[in-house]
Amino acid sequence: MYIPRKSKFDPKNGHFGIFGGRYVPETLMPILLELEKEYLKIRFDKEFWKEVNYYLKEYVGRPSPLYFAKNISEELGAKIYLKREDLNHTGAHKINNTIAQVLMAKRLGKKRVIAETGAGQHGVATATVASLLGLECEIFMGAKDVERQSLNVFRMRLLGAKVNPVTSGSQTLKDAMNDAIRDWVTNARDTFYIIGTVAGPHPYPMMVRDIQAIIGTEAKQQILEKEGRLPDKIIAPIGGGSNAIGIFQPFLEDDEVECIGIEAGGLGIDTDKHGASLTKGRPGILHGQMSYLLQDDEGQILEAHSISAGLDYPGIGPEHSFHKENGTIRYDHITDQEALDGFVWLSQKEGIIPAFESAHGIAYLKKIADEIQGKIVIVNLSGRGDKDMVQAQKLLNFDEE
Amino acid sequence: MKKLVAYITAGYPDSSWTIDLLNSLSPYVDIVELGVPFSDPVADGPIIEKANSLALKRGIKFLDILNIASQSPIETYLMGYFNSFYNQNMETLIPKLSNIGVRGLIIPDLPYEEARIYRPLFEREKMDNIPFVAPTDDRERISTILKDCFSQFIYLVAYAGITGSDKKESLDEVVQNIRDITDRDIFIGFGVNEETAKEKAKNVDGVIVGSHFVKFLLDESLSNSEKLAKIVESAKVIKEKINE
Repeated sequence: MYIPRKSKFDPKNGHFGIFGGRYVPETLMPILLELEKEYLKIRFDKEFWKEVNYYLKEYVGRPSPLYFAKNISEELGAKIYLKREDLNHTGAHKINNTIAQVLMAKRLGKKRVIAETGAGQHGVATATVASLLGLECEIFMGAKDVERQSLNVFRMRLLGAKVNPVTSGSQTLKDAMNDAIRDWVTNARDTFYIIGTVAGPHPYPMMVRDIQAIIGTEAKQQILEKEGRLPDKIIAPIGGGSNAIGIFQPFLEDDEVECIGIEAGGLGIDTDKHGASLTKGRPGILHGQMSYLLQDDEGQILEAHSISAGLDYPGIGPEHSFHKENGTIRYDHITDQEALDGFVWLSQKEGIIPAFESAHGIAYLKKIADEIQGKIVIVNLSGRGDKDMVQAQKLLNFDEE
Repeated sequence: MKKLVAYITAGYPDSSWTIDLLNSLSPYVDIVELGVPFSDPVADGPIIEKANSLALKRGIKFLDILNIASQSPIETYLMGYFNSFYNQNMETLIPKLSNIGVRGLIIPDLPYEEARIYRPLFEREKMDNIPFVAPTDDRERISTILKDCFSQFIYLVAYAGITGSDKKESLDEVVQNIRDITDRDIFIGFGVNEETAKEKAKNVDGVIVGSHFVKFLLDESLSNSEKLAKIVESAKVIKEKINE
């Protein structure tokens, strides 16, 4: 049974070094303090995690396999393993988090849950568990994303959720999160905000990391069974950073394992169209936390860009900012084009269609091919590509000759 | 005499208009909150959010706001989101603001815990960092926030929510809790307009009016001088109503 463990990187008073914190309106402070108190009560509590584990096994289908990708391994001259989060119910790692948070919401006696979503994966995962556990559910989604991801909007509505198109600002994920926070401030007493990643005010970054660390905990056990030793490198894509922290976390104190987080390079990190907050941003405050942010000279938040809506966010979870400065995790980026090539490569070599997000991690294998000769590498295949089919169809052309 | 605090988003339609407005408001308004526009104002409703975004589109910079503040005939606080101030480097910003006569900062996303490390800086420069109290706060929380409060006033949020809504909540207990802990003035903000001002001002020492004034700023059927006249007229009415 999975139960989170204490970590040397646990936040202190809600902060990872200078990062994290609780930069929220006072109305939310009592709610966050109560949430922290309640979470600390169940953080290592067998009864609570027993219920979470029941759903993760019977409903989500965990543990997800650690698949030896033979064909790309041969091509690269390395041993590549894929952590198959794409096989989870609803198609990504997001559901691990929503299951545990919705059980928290019930425990706190909340009747309604809200969530922000970019591409719609977290929205679908939230709508799914709200339906399963009988809670009212409202999803905030940028109006532009509502248009781009109409299939996921339909899925959420089919699951019984209300989808609220956000028309302010850039009308994408950042603005969806603004409006989710506005709703939360207004309905703080009876509404639980299910944040989709390791971001937002404390205790969310710690809580979501604890929940998602099941990915790395399983992977560690699986690689030891298969190889009898730890991997040399672990690669994961980073938007907000929850799948990455999830798989890295149980390995962060193992010095022989190098963890590498891959940000969205978009059209190139020297253009203004990317999502590389750690590489190109600087510390600032947004959405309740201090972290690296894409911002202009005046501290106004910039719009991010990525082929992958899940990486299209100008900030990043505060623990990643901490690990960047601390050097515990290495960070790099992959462009839209490289990700698209990786997307096709994995599809045609292994018969696995990755999500655009996950394709960033896959593409990175080629970028560091020289470095990984003869090494064991795990890539977190955080989601499947079904949601990206419409977009992929517009970008790729496989006409028969 | 109960006080009237006016929130105005700085720099829309332009900086010199904001200065003209402050000059015209000075007979009726006791304190002005000069709003520093931010791209992501999460504590604000649609009216102030739109004014923020329009001011930014007009290219307003932090330096312009300092310029407006230095010419303000009314006691002035800067109201904005923490990133705008953090980005200026608090260590150099606070003395600079103090030098140009700004009385303090009002930062809705910098609660007590996160503000603590900046306290010596505010104290040294005799600047206020206005504390917020919300209706979700219990007595213990209020005591934590206010027990060694040295600022001129407390910002009481009228309801759980964002600015400019018509929500209502009973605040008797919260007000009593604040009074038991501090002798500072309590000013109530959020949803205060000509209709609600009298009622909201009961039991407190003043009101903060934002969205109601900013609404005139956004009314494109009005000329710039009509916008100014409407806001001043409304300030006059509210000042009378809270002191009836």
